[in-house]
Amino acid sequence: MSFLRAASAIAGKDLRIEGRTFRTAASTGLFALVVLVVFAFAFDLDTVRRLGAPRVVPGVLWVTLSFASIVGLTRAFEIERQRDALTALALAPVDRGAVFAGKGLASLAVLLALELVLVPLTLIFFDATDTVSLGALALVLLLHTVGLAELGTLFGAVASRLGRGEALLAILLLPAATPLLLSAVQCTKGALAGDPLSENARWMLVTAGCDVLYFLVALLVFESVLEEG
Amino acid sequence: MTRRFPLVYGTLLAVSALGIALALAQIFLVAPEERVMGAVQKIFYIHVPLAAVTFLAVFVLLVGALGYLTTGRPVWDRLAVAACEVGWVFCTLVLITGPIWAKPAWGVWWTWEAKITTTLVLWLLLAGIVVARGYATTPEQAARVGAVLGVVAALDVPIVYKAVDWWRGQHPIVFGPGRGDPLAPGMGRALLLSMLAVTVLFSALVVLRMRLAALEEALAAAEDAAGRSW
Repeated sequence: MSFLRAASAIAGKDLRIEGRTFRTAASTGLFALVVLVVFAFAFDLDTVRRLGAPRVVPGVLWVTLSFASIVGLTRAFEIERQRDALTALALAPVDRGAVFAGKGLASLAVLLALELVLVPLTLIFFDATDTVSLGALALVLLLHTVGLAELGTLFGAVASRLGRGEALLAILLLPAATPLLLSAVQCTKGALAGDPLSENARWMLVTAGCDVLYFLVALLVFESVLEEG
Repeated sequence: MTRRFPLVYGTLLAVSALGIALALAQIFLVAPEERVMGAVQKIFYIHVPLAAVTFLAVFVLLVGALGYLTTGRPVWDRLAVAACEVGWVFCTLVLITGPIWAKPAWGVWWTWEAKITTTLVLWLLLAGIVVARGYATTPEQAARVGAVLGVVAALDVPIVYKAVDWWRGQHPIVFGPGRGDPLAPGMGRALLLSMLAVTVLFSALVVLRMRLAALEEALAAAEDAAGRSW
């Protein structure tokens, strides 16, 4: 079975489960919403207006997204732990990289769907709709979510194999995602202020580079992650 | 390794003890006092070598991790775990000595500058590896997890540095093109001696930790065999 077919079969399986249960979307979406509301209590609208939304909202958005992604990515491997499905997946006669790509793709789709709801809500809650450039914001979100999904899938598999959930994923993922998160906040700031993307071209290029690098590294090491015992 | 261990370890330990004694003498008795900062600047001779060796440890971790992933031989894992844990201890010392210097020199204990932030992120990454390994149920699983996380962490460190550098900046640039030799002669020698002493100490600790890992493996294997025969 070719790499792409195997990856899309695994991604399709995950999304089909998600489509029937909505369990990841429900827990991740609600969690994100709770974090967002807590942020709204922490930074009242007057403060946000005084500082300017582009200086506050990117941080709020990405902290919320990265915390929510930890919940979502943990769930992505929790479904594989039932009846030890991960071992069955590891036994499948396909490239281990395809397993990674499939799981990552499904997680990416779930995270993007989450953003589709969460980002407009954030912009509305924090009154950041005036200057935003939506096209630039969409590209920024996509590029950085890809990296987050890749690292999260790799570390999520590690945490799952070790029988640990969110706590281990959080301490592994967040430090490793430092470059992504820094870049995400910078680029989102530009998009919210309505700056042209070219002003953050350097950050976008590095993030694209990170996306490629993390993908290649994960392809190479995923076999060792899946191996049992 | 088993038979040669006492000799290798003993030599490294003796050399590092001698080196540290010489370096301390050079730092406190010979090197001139810095004009502006005074005695506080002496911590520079400890801080800089520790930081350099911490990043050397990351490189050794990468080598060990890649070695284990490609060959699967336990010796590479021993190297990786030793570099990771000893590097983590050195990293802790860097994060302690740095603020002691920063407070009198810059007026603040902490600043989110590139090198400092990268060191803190590195500390978190190494801590994550140590914690994750601890959750493993078998030595092989610990080795695989350690290798995978080690590769990602080591590759991530330069990217983190560059990213934080763009985000913020302000470390004292002591060495650099067009700056000539910024250190008085006695200072250079003190730094060099300290660098050598700390590097040898690091090697001694790595060798010791690798030996410990080998003994742990032997113990686990012995227990395994005993458990099966009963």
